[in-house]
Amino acid sequence: MRFQYYEPTSLTDAVDQAARFGGEGRFLAGGTDLMIQIHRGVLRPRHVVSLDRVPDLAAVEASGETILGAMVTHRDLEHHPALQGRLRALVEGAEVVGGHQIRNVATVGGNVVNASPAADVVAVLLALEATVVLLGAGGERVMPLAGFLLGPGSTARRPEEILTAIRFPALVGPSASAFLKAGRRRAMEISLVCVAAVLALDERTGRCVAVRVALGAVAPTTVRAHAAERVLEGRMPTAGVLREAGRAAAGECRPISDVRASARYRARLVEALVPRALARCLERIGAAA
Amino acid sequence: MTKVALTLSINGERHEVLAEPDRTLLDVLRHDLGLSGTKENCLEAECGVCTVLVDGRAVNACILLAAQCRGREVLTIEGLARDGQLHPLQQAFIDHGAVQCGYCIPGMILSAKAYLDEHPVPTEAGVREALAGNLCRCTGYQKITDAVLAAARELAPER
Repeated sequence: MRFQYYEPTSLTDAVDQAARFGGEGRFLAGGTDLMIQIHRGVLRPRHVVSLDRVPDLAAVEASGETILGAMVTHRDLEHHPALQGRLRALVEGAEVVGGHQIRNVATVGGNVVNASPAADVVAVLLALEATVVLLGAGGERVMPLAGFLLGPGSTARRPEEILTAIRFPALVGPSASAFLKAGRRRAMEISLVCVAAVLALDERTGRCVAVRVALGAVAPTTVRAHAAERVLEGRMPTAGVLREAGRAAAGECRPISDVRASARYRARLVEALVPRALARCLERIGAAA
Repeated sequence: MTKVALTLSINGERHEVLAEPDRTLLDVLRHDLGLSGTKENCLEAECGVCTVLVDGRAVNACILLAAQCRGREVLTIEGLARDGQLHPLQQAFIDHGAVQCGYCIPGMILSAKAYLDEHPVPTEAGVREALAGNLCRCTGYQKITDAVLAAARELAPER
């Protein structure tokens, strides 16, 4: 490794430094992806700017809208009291990532910027219709997460921009979220497929009023399963309708075959896991009522 | 590359180190400070042999820069024994035959310590989950789990 290291103590300094370094600089958050890429020689930044000592990036705000600071760790998500109810999928997505050593340092912001198609927490954030907040020399930009993710490891972030926060609206009324992941073992596993679901029902009729399903590891980015969502909208969430949504999701996803699973197997997993995640949402709505 | 002066607090002692800013904590521990109890293996945060505690949390020292540890408290396996007395976790690993080749053990013990510090009354499932980021190719984990559970019983009266 050959780089200079900086620890700015304000966002302004961090942005100024990054603007000076341009493509030769990299922000360091938890380091669980960046440091490995540097070790492997895949990335060779000449300047590494740590966000560790920039204040206020590690806060979770959850009054109405939820705001996750970029430096909030997976461990923080697992234990935050505001996420144990309707936002439970975030806890479930965070707790299956790596081992404790990873979750203690790996950040939400890093996970989003790293843009792995298999990122568990990113799938949940997509289902929560999150937006990302970027700060650069020209000021702040806010954009939907769905538009921010461009491909494996590729985002709309400019090199000098810091992803400072991720926000999403509150879930209200009879609603819940759930996350499921398929892997060969339960720990230290990259998802073969992961599914995040958010479901809101009409209080009076019990029909689905808002359905959001996101899938990981079945496309170049984590993706929404819009066809599956449309199957459910306005209908009663019967077991048959949930299965229909699973088939729609399997039909619209575009997985590849790789060393971990075949495309066909991944599509079958999607078909099975989407109804299961939605059913879990229904159980949770029922339990909360 | 210009070296920078780092003040690190390791096992309760202050250490002044002159090191390049891109050196990992693992590298500085082993090569500058001679603390070779922290092991080096995959260098990709997969195997856990380099686990140390930073401010009480288990981390992989292979992906952490030494410079990131300024102002923080680092605990390595060398810092566990007190006055020549092994820590109850260390003694339990010996008593239960939890050590074979031994290479993963410093990391195992530190992960276990972080877990027991937060969960004084552990469950077997909890112990196994706590050690998920530490790979052992010898023992099959059962004796390691037994040792951690036994150490928790030993530590209980102290709490």
